[in-house]
Amino acid sequence: MTALLTMKNLRAGYGDADILFDLSIEVAKGEIVAIVGPNGAGKSTAMKSIFGLLDIRAGSIAIGETDITGWVPNRIVKAGICYVPQVKNIFSEMTVHENFEMGAFLRKGDYSAALDRVYDLFPDLRTKRKTTAGSLSGGQRQMVAMGRALMLDPQVLLLDEPTAGLSPKYMEQIFQISRDVRDSGVAILLVEQHAKQALAFADRGYVLAAGRNRHEGPGPALLADRHIAEMFLGG
Amino acid sequence: MEWITVLNYPVYLAIFICIYGCLAIGLNIQWGYAGLFNAGVAGFFAIGAYTSAILTSPWAEGRLGGFDLPFPVGLVGAMLLAGLLAWPIGKICLRFRSDYLAIVTIGVAEGIRLVARSEEWLTNSARGISAIPRPFGDLPYAKAQLVYLGITALILLVAYVLVQRQAVSPWGRMMRAIRDNESAAQAMGKDVPYRRLEAFILGSALMGLAGALYVHLARTITPDAIDPMLITFLVWIMVILGGSGNNRGVLLGAIIVWVIWSTSEIVTDQLPSEYALKAKYGRMFLIGLLLQLVLRFRPEGILPEKLRKEPREERRVGEQDSVTQATGNIIN
Amino acid sequence: MLSFVNFFLLPGIVQGSIYALGAIGITLVFAIMRYGHFAHGDLATFGAFIALAFTTMLGVSPYIALPLAVLATGVFAIGIDRLFYAHLRTMPKIITTIASFGVALMLRSFVQVVWGVNTTSYARGITRPENWFGIRVKSHELVTLLVAIALVVALHLFLTRNKWGKAMRAMSDNPDLALLSGVDNNKVIALTWIVAGGLCAASGFFLGLNTELKSLMGWNILLPTFAAAILGGVGRIEGAIVGGLIVGIAEELSVLVIPGEYKVMSAFGILLLVLLFRPTGLFRGKVL
Repeated sequence: MTALLTMKNLRAGYGDADILFDLSIEVAKGEIVAIVGPNGAGKSTAMKSIFGLLDIRAGSIAIGETDITGWVPNRIVKAGICYVPQVKNIFSEMTVHENFEMGAFLRKGDYSAALDRVYDLFPDLRTKRKTTAGSLSGGQRQMVAMGRALMLDPQVLLLDEPTAGLSPKYMEQIFQISRDVRDSGVAILLVEQHAKQALAFADRGYVLAAGRNRHEGPGPALLADRHIAEMFLGG
Repeated sequence: MEWITVLNYPVYLAIFICIYGCLAIGLNIQWGYAGLFNAGVAGFFAIGAYTSAILTSPWAEGRLGGFDLPFPVGLVGAMLLAGLLAWPIGKICLRFRSDYLAIVTIGVAEGIRLVARSEEWLTNSARGISAIPRPFGDLPYAKAQLVYLGITALILLVAYVLVQRQAVSPWGRMMRAIRDNESAAQAMGKDVPYRRLEAFILGSALMGLAGALYVHLARTITPDAIDPMLITFLVWIMVILGGSGNNRGVLLGAIIVWVIWSTSEIVTDQLPSEYALKAKYGRMFLIGLLLQLVLRFRPEGILPEKLRKEPREERRVGEQDSVTQATGNIIN
Repeated sequence: MLSFVNFFLLPGIVQGSIYALGAIGITLVFAIMRYGHFAHGDLATFGAFIALAFTTMLGVSPYIALPLAVLATGVFAIGIDRLFYAHLRTMPKIITTIASFGVALMLRSFVQVVWGVNTTSYARGITRPENWFGIRVKSHELVTLLVAIALVVALHLFLTRNKWGKAMRAMSDNPDLALLSGVDNNKVIALTWIVAGGLCAASGFFLGLNTELKSLMGWNILLPTFAAAILGGVGRIEGAIVGGLIVGIAEELSVLVIPGEYKVMSAFGILLLVLLFRPTGLFRGKVL
């Protein structure tokens, strides 16, 4: 399997402090990869480093054959990577529809097909298109956030803790939608606090500790590993 | 006695430098240590000037006064009243980012100017207060100036030493900690709003003191004697140019800026009268430009703050902004 | 009742629309760039005098000079940003506020050097008010209201219908996400300055039209304009309009309770009350 998104031996941090020390992650087309690990392991930081939101000191990030290390967010979005942050991931003062329009900001010409597809993925939102996004429930807000990111037809979708604070019902719904998105040919990289559920649902997983890879492999295999269960997953 | 008259101008210059030095140290406590944007320096200066004038001047028809109190009482009164005025302002504004404090202090300065202009019973309106005593004012002019320089220099020195001692004490370190990372300071149990208020009141009191020193030099005060924008601005540029957070720096700033400002007036006064007026405004333009140049090329000032490890970053706006700054960095 | 309308309400609304035009710019800059722009008043002065320059140089009526001045001031505002604010973007925002204070001084001295410090006006003579069912309106008051309404409607349409208008709202709402959506913040900033600078010139022009032109005119409306923006809620256009009208009307009504000399302080009072009791303003804006 050829990797679509490759992070190789990444060392990165803010100011004087390094947070990631030696991180390598690969995501291929049509797979869901989960990054799990204890608090402070650098999970979200790994994701932010792709978007150049912190200083990269060594290593590289590439999409396909193109090295995108140190690119501005604008160019990275154009290269086909879309990112859903964990918090503040919607335009809360704008309507659902305007959120999707902003998602399509870089698109030229007609994007009604993309809009239709997003509304098909999230049928609940169809009736709420004129609603201010900030007034929606947590689960619906997460859908708006994902929908916004999908408006550009990305090759890679980055989800930072998409199920944080959601009820089990919504969590399952978000996972199901992620599978649908994957099946349409998108590579998904997600960071999860709910390690067990995430590994059960992902195709492959990475276990991070202290800014380094600890374990990697197919999700179920990682779940079955007793060391990992004891170390990070709380039994 | 010839030599002493030759010295008249430099002595006059030096007295003003001492007065502005007081203002600059006051603003340095507020901005340099606590990160507070006081845009109404002139207002606190004016409060001090009027307070001391009313307390020490002889009785006059139609306005409050006739207390004839001694000079030191005037100074203390000026500091107390300026500090007292700062208290409610700080109470209301210091919960927010300093932009709000700035606009409110502009309002305060404006309000004080209006009071000075309209309340005849208090300030004698446009005619102002005159015959304000000066310590040793009975001496011949040149000597009196020299003595007054001694007094202002001594007061400035005392203010400098006291503030400097505070600045290097745990109090000073705490103020910087609050300024540079409010949430961390708060987490360590520091009473952030209270500390800020402390700095704001202390700085304002020093500005009041400077006002009092000025009024005993001028011996008369009218509402138009204090140009709010000009005074406030000169003090700001002194602090920024000299090096905010460094008391020696801001004093150096006071010297440089006042010497440039004052001597350039001599030059423009030589111009034919139709240009002289324009040149006066041109000078203000150049002062504004000087600020922009300092911010652009040497934002830390001539003598930067010493304890600084890394460039100051805005922490008070929270994480969102720091990310914006990070991305802004790339985009710029 | 009619005299209340004629002597308090109508002048209040006219003055209030002038504040509103300025406050929209302040609120936009506050929300998108995240600093208080203290040169706004003096930029209004500049705009007013540019309009005067167009009337005297081209010999056109002030109403033709207005759109020219709006455009020129908008472009000029971009220039100010590029020269004095752009390089400060990565520093604490308050530094830019300080820089804007310096720009205010520069703008004012520029006006004083070029046009002097004496008061002047666009047209000599006194306009006689027209009587509409007992309501006395001067023609320039009517124009002020109509143009202000037209500008606000145009701005509203731009912000809700146009792609770049939406990008401006997005940048104010959630700057990080706007960047992640591919919005170029340099373009949004330039656009914001065009809008804010243009409206600022309009507010200065109408201030000059309804009163007179002088070098301190803009500095004198800085406080009420900021009060209007904060009262409405930072980032809220509709708030800036309502806030402007409230401040304008409150100023006119204030003479009933406080001496006339302190009329301008009513904005200050409103500002303090808002900060004390409802810092998010009437329309729940941002608090920085």
